[in-house]
Amino acid sequence: MAKPAQPKTGRRDFLKLTAGAAGIVGAPWITKKVEAKPSTIVFARESSYVKNFDEHFQKVLIPAYQKATGIKIDYQIQAAGGSAVPQLVSMVENKSGADLAWVQQEWLYRDALVDVSDIAEAVGKEQGGWYDEIKLLSVDNGKWKSIPQANIGQLMVYRKDWFDEAGIKQFPDTWDEFLEAGIKLKAKGHPFGMSMGHGFADNYSWLYPLLWSYGVTVMDKAGKKVALDSNETVKVVEYVKRLYKEACIEDCIGWLDPHNNKAFLTSQISCTNNAYSIMVSAKRDLPDMGKVIDHALNPKGPAGRFHSLVPVTHGVFAYGPDPQAAKDFLRWIMDPKQYRPWISSGDMYFAPYLHAFDKFPDWDIEPRVKPFQKVLETGKLTSWPAPANRAHGAVINRWIVIDMFTKACTGTPTKTAIAEAVTQLKQIYG
Amino acid sequence: MGRIVEASRAPALEAHAYRAQRSGRFREFVERESVFSWLILTPPILFLLLFLGYPFFYGVYLSFFRREVTGPALFVGLGNFVTLAHDPIFWQSVGNTVKFTAAATVLKALGGLGMALVMNQNFKFKAITRALLLLPFIVPTVLSTVAWQWIYDPGLGLFNRLLVTSGLTRTGFSWLGNPTMAMISVIIVNTWRGLPFFGISILAGLQTIPVEQHESATIDGAGTWDRFRHVTLPSLLPVIFIVTTFSVILTFFDFQLVYVLTGGGPANSTHLMATYAYSLSMGAGQMGLGSAVALSMVPVLGLLLVLLTWYVRKED
Amino acid sequence: MVGELTWRKRTLGLWIPLALFYVVALFPFTWMAATSLKTNAELYNPKANPLSIQHPSLVHYISLLQETNFLTWVGNTMLVAVVATGISLLLGTMLAYPLARMRFRGAPLLAITVAITYLVPQSLLFVPMADLIGRMRLNNTLSAVILTYPTLLVPFIAWLLMGYFKTVPKELEEQALIDGASRWRAMTRVILPLCMPGFISAGIFAFTLAQNEFLYALLFLSRSDVRTVPIGVVGELIRGDAFYWGQLMAGALLGSVPVALIYSFFVKYYVAGLTAGAVKG
Repeated sequence: MAKPAQPKTGRRDFLKLTAGAAGIVGAPWITKKVEAKPSTIVFARESSYVKNFDEHFQKVLIPAYQKATGIKIDYQIQAAGGSAVPQLVSMVENKSGADLAWVQQEWLYRDALVDVSDIAEAVGKEQGGWYDEIKLLSVDNGKWKSIPQANIGQLMVYRKDWFDEAGIKQFPDTWDEFLEAGIKLKAKGHPFGMSMGHGFADNYSWLYPLLWSYGVTVMDKAGKKVALDSNETVKVVEYVKRLYKEACIEDCIGWLDPHNNKAFLTSQISCTNNAYSIMVSAKRDLPDMGKVIDHALNPKGPAGRFHSLVPVTHGVFAYGPDPQAAKDFLRWIMDPKQYRPWISSGDMYFAPYLHAFDKFPDWDIEPRVKPFQKVLETGKLTSWPAPANRAHGAVINRWIVIDMFTKACTGTPTKTAIAEAVTQLKQIYG
Repeated sequence: MGRIVEASRAPALEAHAYRAQRSGRFREFVERESVFSWLILTPPILFLLLFLGYPFFYGVYLSFFRREVTGPALFVGLGNFVTLAHDPIFWQSVGNTVKFTAAATVLKALGGLGMALVMNQNFKFKAITRALLLLPFIVPTVLSTVAWQWIYDPGLGLFNRLLVTSGLTRTGFSWLGNPTMAMISVIIVNTWRGLPFFGISILAGLQTIPVEQHESATIDGAGTWDRFRHVTLPSLLPVIFIVTTFSVILTFFDFQLVYVLTGGGPANSTHLMATYAYSLSMGAGQMGLGSAVALSMVPVLGLLLVLLTWYVRKED
Repeated sequence: MVGELTWRKRTLGLWIPLALFYVVALFPFTWMAATSLKTNAELYNPKANPLSIQHPSLVHYISLLQETNFLTWVGNTMLVAVVATGISLLLGTMLAYPLARMRFRGAPLLAITVAITYLVPQSLLFVPMADLIGRMRLNNTLSAVILTYPTLLVPFIAWLLMGYFKTVPKELEEQALIDGASRWRAMTRVILPLCMPGFISAGIFAFTLAQNEFLYALLFLSRSDVRTVPIGVVGELIRGDAFYWGQLMAGALLGSVPVALIYSFFVKYYVAGLTAGAVKG
């Protein structure tokens, strides 16, 4: 929590009186000088997979800001794995905690965030403009409530050596080809491992694009009518059932976000959907494997090729004692002078939602990372095309659509699984 | 004159006597059993009222409201319970909790009985054995559960490695991926953890059975099994009953194990009422609904305990 | 000894089952140890033998101790467990003594109420508790858990202690009263000192329960430097979507050591405590 320097406040009041008595001319100058400035700003953020990214922030940005303004940034790293949101919620409910944060699931507390449209417009103007899709998350009723910092790209990750062995020289381009490849590889003892458990990224990053590529969405554009019940949905669920039974390792139905990493790194699977953390881990700990890992775009379906966006957005809490100071800091870190090196330090794991970065040279450092830049072009928020609001949050956090797939894979008749999901959606959206 | 003096001194004297009497009376008052008791009881009762009573009533109250995180509280009466009644995952969690509790308790009781019988013999390293065998129960649950995650790994885990190399199965089981296996896996870990508790408690019970009872039974011609059934078991029943009740309650409320091991998956097949309540309240931010799930735990547990008591009474 | 035990009977009836129990109880710990001493390369190698270590390495222990707040977590856990146990023993004694040894109106009702608290799941309490702690501005302080753990420990300690208190003969107290002592003196100078073993066993039991607690710690302690071992290990040895398995195992093993050590000194009392409730209770 930002701590205003107390003595100065008292002095300010006293000075205001004397200034008022002494005359108008000197007064504004004197009072401005001793205006209370926060000594610390608290910034909460979930720990990032790329350690360098956090370290750059802690070792380069924080000291630089302190030097420039005298304000210390208290960088509170929140543990990964689902505990960030309850913490953020607790902060909002108790009106105390961090001044700004990576506002995960911001639809839960948009009203508690400060309007940052001025920052957004300035940044957009100077760095090529924002990708439209992210505005659906950060803009609420015409006002920007958060500043998109970057996207964590999710793509297909696969063992090129095993694919080559099985005679598959190019990564499958359509979902049907994907299934065929999986069957072949499973027969050779290298099944796929597509996460379908109660995680937040690696399940949504392929199941939703799969639905979308068949023209199915969860809700309609207005977010009022359930769109999940359609004939195409039956096709998609049947596809997933086949994929699970014939191409995947049995375990993956319960996988949370870290489990596919583990399975891949222990050579149990040949393909999964993930951010490029697997490749980084492999390059570091298992160099031989690191050489044969590659990334590919999601396969396409009749309605196109889609990807999921995993946004990182920063917001300022209104309850803080000095939201303006927090806003100033936010503006500062989004300034190209600070922002570009910071993004570089993350090896493009975090990809900005700004068009100025479309041709960023860092994309070319590791050619296998370049496909992640394409994610921004075809990426959609999980709520697409409906608004990212509270009801959507409930659907995500209760894994209504994910469970539809896993129920079908574990014995529930397809039509029943779909019907149950639709009923729950109707109950949530009201 | 004397009388006036006396009269003037009298109040002072009286005051002094009164004070002595009053402190005496105060003393007496406090010494009364009920007063003393309630005085001593006040601090803990106040503490529990604030930190236990208030949250309890608030929790019950919440379950009748639709209260989403950072949102207002809207009274919905029995609305949450109606929603849950139509929620297949809720009923799955109820079934899972009952299955989990029943299976684990039976296994722990039988295993604990076996352990107690084995330990009831004389052998050299008895003290250190007692200490070592209690370790699963002592060590923080989440820490040992983390180890179990690796033990259950399909490729590198101990179980599948043993199964495959010994030739018993070709690929091993999907301990945490197959819905049925996942429940079995969770039951195994809970049993592993709780068995020593049963073992040590029953052992103490065994050691209080007078040796004479065993001796007279042997003299009467009873064999080992008969002795067990007619001397040992009846004497153990009270101990077993208390330990079982205690264990049923703790197992029914269990949260940590499933939360760390499976998160409720796969396909909600290991979701317990405790983990579902948490998932609804802290995950989906629907605190009223989550509290309703938690409140529902009480009657279900009550029913289980009634059944248990009735079964034990029947055996008597 | 009742019945004759031949060597064969002893092997079948004692040694084999005992060995089985040993293996079952301890194999996860040896697994933890083995895994924590392997390098990542060996750890992730599917062809390596799970139980043997080719190149033992302390790298996970070193990074656990140097790069995480593990030692802080251990310190926090011990502090919380000791203080919460102390508070619980005090409050538990005050609750148990009158219920066990005094007659007063409302005693049966109170006893039943205390017993019923067992049937209240933490799952029902945690949302209001989080609200209460938030209002008291105790988030991310050890006080949050120090104050809430007794709600879990006091009913249990009271139950254990009641058993012990009941075993002290009433004559002792009556004699003290006749000799002119107040009830307070009788309680604190005569009766309670005789129950020392009970306090130790209840205390040890409460201590192990306290350092095993997870839910409240998970909710109230989100900042790394105030966390306890269970939530620190499970929550922080993961970065993004990568678990640090080697560190996790090292942390799990090291986290178990202080508890195992403390309890090994007091195991006699611990067992007595467990059984007192069951047998005497």
